[in-house]
Amino acid sequence: MNLYKPELLATAKDLEEVKRLAQAGADAILIGHQQFGNRVAGDFELSDIKEAIDLLHAMNKKAYIQVNAIFHNQHLEALPDYLTALERDGVDGIIAGDQSIFQIKRDLNLTTPLTWNPATLSTNYQTLNYWHQRGMDRAALSNELSLDAVIEIKEHVSCPIEIQVHGMTCIFQSKRKLVRNYYQHIDKSYEQDQVRYIKEDKKADSHYPIFEDINGTHIMSTEDLVMIDYLDLILSAQIDGLKIEGMMKSTDYNERIVILYREAIDTYLTDPELYQIKKAGWKQSIYQTQPNQRKIGTGFYFKEQIY
Amino acid sequence: MQIERRKPELLAPAGNLEKLKFAIHYGADAVYIGGRQFGLRAKAGNFSFEEMAEGVVFAKKYGAKVYVATNIIAHNENLAGAHDYFKKLYDIGISAVIAADPALIQACHEAAPDLEVHISTQASIANWKTVEYWKKEGIPRVVLAREVSVEEIRQIKEKVDIEIEAFIHGAMCISYSGRCVLSNHMTARDANRGGCAQSCRWKYDLFEDGTDGTVAVSDQADEKYTMSSQDLSMVEHLPDLIEAGVDSLKIEGRMKSIHYVATVVNVYRKIIDTYFSDPENFQLDQAWIDEIWKAAQRSLSTAFYYHEPTEKDQLFGKPDRIPKYDFAGLVLDYDEHTQVATIQQRNSFGIGDEVEFFGPNFYRFKQKIHILWDENGEAIDRAKHAMMITKVKVDQPVKYYDMMRKQK
Repeated sequence: MNLYKPELLATAKDLEEVKRLAQAGADAILIGHQQFGNRVAGDFELSDIKEAIDLLHAMNKKAYIQVNAIFHNQHLEALPDYLTALERDGVDGIIAGDQSIFQIKRDLNLTTPLTWNPATLSTNYQTLNYWHQRGMDRAALSNELSLDAVIEIKEHVSCPIEIQVHGMTCIFQSKRKLVRNYYQHIDKSYEQDQVRYIKEDKKADSHYPIFEDINGTHIMSTEDLVMIDYLDLILSAQIDGLKIEGMMKSTDYNERIVILYREAIDTYLTDPELYQIKKAGWKQSIYQTQPNQRKIGTGFYFKEQIY
Repeated sequence: MQIERRKPELLAPAGNLEKLKFAIHYGADAVYIGGRQFGLRAKAGNFSFEEMAEGVVFAKKYGAKVYVATNIIAHNENLAGAHDYFKKLYDIGISAVIAADPALIQACHEAAPDLEVHISTQASIANWKTVEYWKKEGIPRVVLAREVSVEEIRQIKEKVDIEIEAFIHGAMCISYSGRCVLSNHMTARDANRGGCAQSCRWKYDLFEDGTDGTVAVSDQADEKYTMSSQDLSMVEHLPDLIEAGVDSLKIEGRMKSIHYVATVVNVYRKIIDTYFSDPENFQLDQAWIDEIWKAAQRSLSTAFYYHEPTEKDQLFGKPDRIPKYDFAGLVLDYDEHTQVATIQQRNSFGIGDEVEFFGPNFYRFKQKIHILWDENGEAIDRAKHAMMITKVKVDQPVKYYDMMRKQK
């Protein structure tokens, strides 16, 4: 008997995407507002969040809210009311990475489950056990880990963990407005909504999306992570959450990706041998779905690091 | 009304034992160093336990403290030996460790409960509730994120009774420290474990993607896209940080030269002491600013302390013309009867060179080299050999640890 049932998570940019990705097979949807969340796929006001929660609960799905900005004093003024409202509206969890959250939850007696996601800083199991003891309910692991390290962490942590399995990853965040500053320097007018990317010198096929929001400047990976053909390794290790990052992608694309991962996960759990037969086909499907310029890769999961 | 203010600590970097000695001799109240494990400056000299012990003994003579940076973001395999390491640091007499990863913070608390842990800037602490969290964890000091303003520091100090350490001078990450994996992504060098390739300072092509195609913005401009930060300097504004309640004023640069460390420490020591001798009538002295520029490696900025940095706080266009100085020689001895100094050569110098001697307490004077002998008393034109011992006739008294610099 196997009670293991991984959660397939996906980000959504608007209510339509929430609905379509849930229908496509996501178990949980991640949403937020850039005022409190880092790199949200789209801005959800509290009223939209309430609607998304109700919609997801009606489908027996979960709603997680990204509250993972790096907070300054100014954020702390509105944060208690925001977290209180989220709990009142029945959110299934918040995702945060700033220690102030532990303090505020304690001050207000909030019980909303906390997924701890400090981006690059969740890299070993002793650290995750430390946060678990301090009130974290689930750990979102850093993307800069090998799959072996992820599995080792799973074997040694006392709480559920989630990892990203698909989509772009953040590789840089500055509080400065680094695109606007450059436009100022070259005396060119700047429009924030313009889609932009940078290329490494002499690496013609590199493609790093870069954008600014109220949290500063963000640079995203040159490749989209695609782990659909390694789900056997991930699922046999009983990783609890598998996340699809859908930012800067169309709803059609994300829906297609969720359908494929849903099918792949369910296939592995019911018939591992059939998964082995079909995995190359799923990967091929993703390859054909990829937007121009977006290569696919496996991120840090199989990469040697030097330090 | 007289405001009671405690003199903040001046905290300097020390990449090796010699730099430690100079930093302390020139006025640092504390230095931070790296050991052979758990530190972020893989390429800095870094201290063996024996060197740390010698550094601690030296520091004690001046009433100074030694901190050890153990600020990596550890992966599973990096944590072996942490308990023994912290125990050893405590036994050596290290006053505190600077850490960002809770696994290491906890290991230190378990292995050496009396060894202070300061939370590193790598943890990007930027609000008072987070500071309060660490206070409740028994942490006596946090190093704030470089993204906080003077006003935010003041608010944090009002809300939480904890020591605040803030950077006053040196190179900066342009990202939130610890939240950048450019280097790891592009070169497989993990910055959070000491391997930073400084990818933010590289040149990139920037494109706009629109319905009518792709536009190469940087091709139409005089300069490619880059994200290189100017260096931080609060030389003109130090009283603002003191009055905001900062407890430790930190200089960056474990990789920097002895000349850099001595010069920068000397200036900030002078400013702090001048301020505290008469806070109400404190006035900035242009000589301090001029002196700081002798050690500057990039243009200088106040970063986030007063406003969000703009393009003027980044390195664009041609670099500013910064006068470059060499550390030409170290004074080992001085004979007051003959006014001859014994000088160990650190960079080539010779007859006719315009040099500047300087020492602690902002002591300094310029002169031309008129007479120069080698170790055996033979007159020579130039001191060409590294570390050779020379004798130089000097215009004013000097002493051991004074330095001689020369413009390049």
